[in-house]
Amino acid sequence: MLTDLLAELPAIDACVLIVQHMPKFVNKSVRDEIGERASMKVRLAKDGDYLQDRVVFLAPSDVHMKVLGNRMIKLVEGEKVNYVRPSIDVLMMSLNEDPITNVIGVIATGMGSDGAEGIRHIKNIGGTTLAQNEATCVIYGMPKAAFETGAIDFVLTPKEIAVKIGELLSREDPEPSTPGLQQILQ
Amino acid sequence: MEKRVMIVDDEPDICLTVRVVLESAGFEVVQAESGQRCLEELEKGFRGVILMDIMMDDMDGWETIRQIESRGLMDGNLALMLTAKQDPDEDLVELTESVLNYMRKPFHTEELIANMETYCKWLDQAKQAEIANG
Repeated sequence: MLTDLLAELPAIDACVLIVQHMPKFVNKSVRDEIGERASMKVRLAKDGDYLQDRVVFLAPSDVHMKVLGNRMIKLVEGEKVNYVRPSIDVLMMSLNEDPITNVIGVIATGMGSDGAEGIRHIKNIGGTTLAQNEATCVIYGMPKAAFETGAIDFVLTPKEIAVKIGELLSREDPEPSTPGLQQILQ
Repeated sequence: MEKRVMIVDDEPDICLTVRVVLESAGFEVVQAESGQRCLEELEKGFRGVILMDIMMDDMDGWETIRQIESRGLMDGNLALMLTAKQDPDEDLVELTESVLNYMRKPFHTEELIANMETYCKWLDQAKQAEIANG
């Protein structure tokens, strides 16, 4: 799960979106668990929420989470994608190329291949992509599938991922950017 | 808070180790040496965290999860798979949402206890929420 990674991440001037495959009845417990260890506010995403810096939005179970205009969360019903709902692919592929919005996509331990196409999309729209390394994965399926797309920029441990995100966000941007980098984590 | 764990593994040493570690930490532990025994315990009313070994003879961990789901016995339970390898069969990806998490064998005692504390707490919170909502 992502608790350890988020515990390493300092409060950043970016919005963090998480897709975690979990039963619905533990959604609030997972939110609270992450919230106890993260440096940012953690919320269960609601339809119509706007992305905000220093806030982590956790996708609720049984719906897909999308982002409209790279700004607003939209929860949609629909068939499972890659056998899951929410799907990382659905979330990542809802993002658009936008000169003032930077995106970092991260794929962490998990079974299956959800997120592989999403990572390819993130790369195609100019984002930066990270995958958890095999040695630290309990289940390597998803990071492996993402890596095999050829679209992963960095393969790292969870702690290194947190450091890299901090580095990417601290780089000086020649153009003023609003609202800051977004991240999508699984 | 109820702290109930079922260890499902056909290796007696694994079952015993888990039982000793968790009982010393205040958990109530049920042992099931096969997938079939796991189903029987669930039919008898076990509700808690299920630690399921993947590699078992007769009915493996994934088939047991399928049976639990098809019989409607997953309600009130959280399942974790114990795996000695990193890449379970990709044909089983449709069961992704039935399983909360994975733990690699051999596991660390502290990690096992900490994870079970967390997941039992989540089950208790869900139960309290259900009671509060009537």
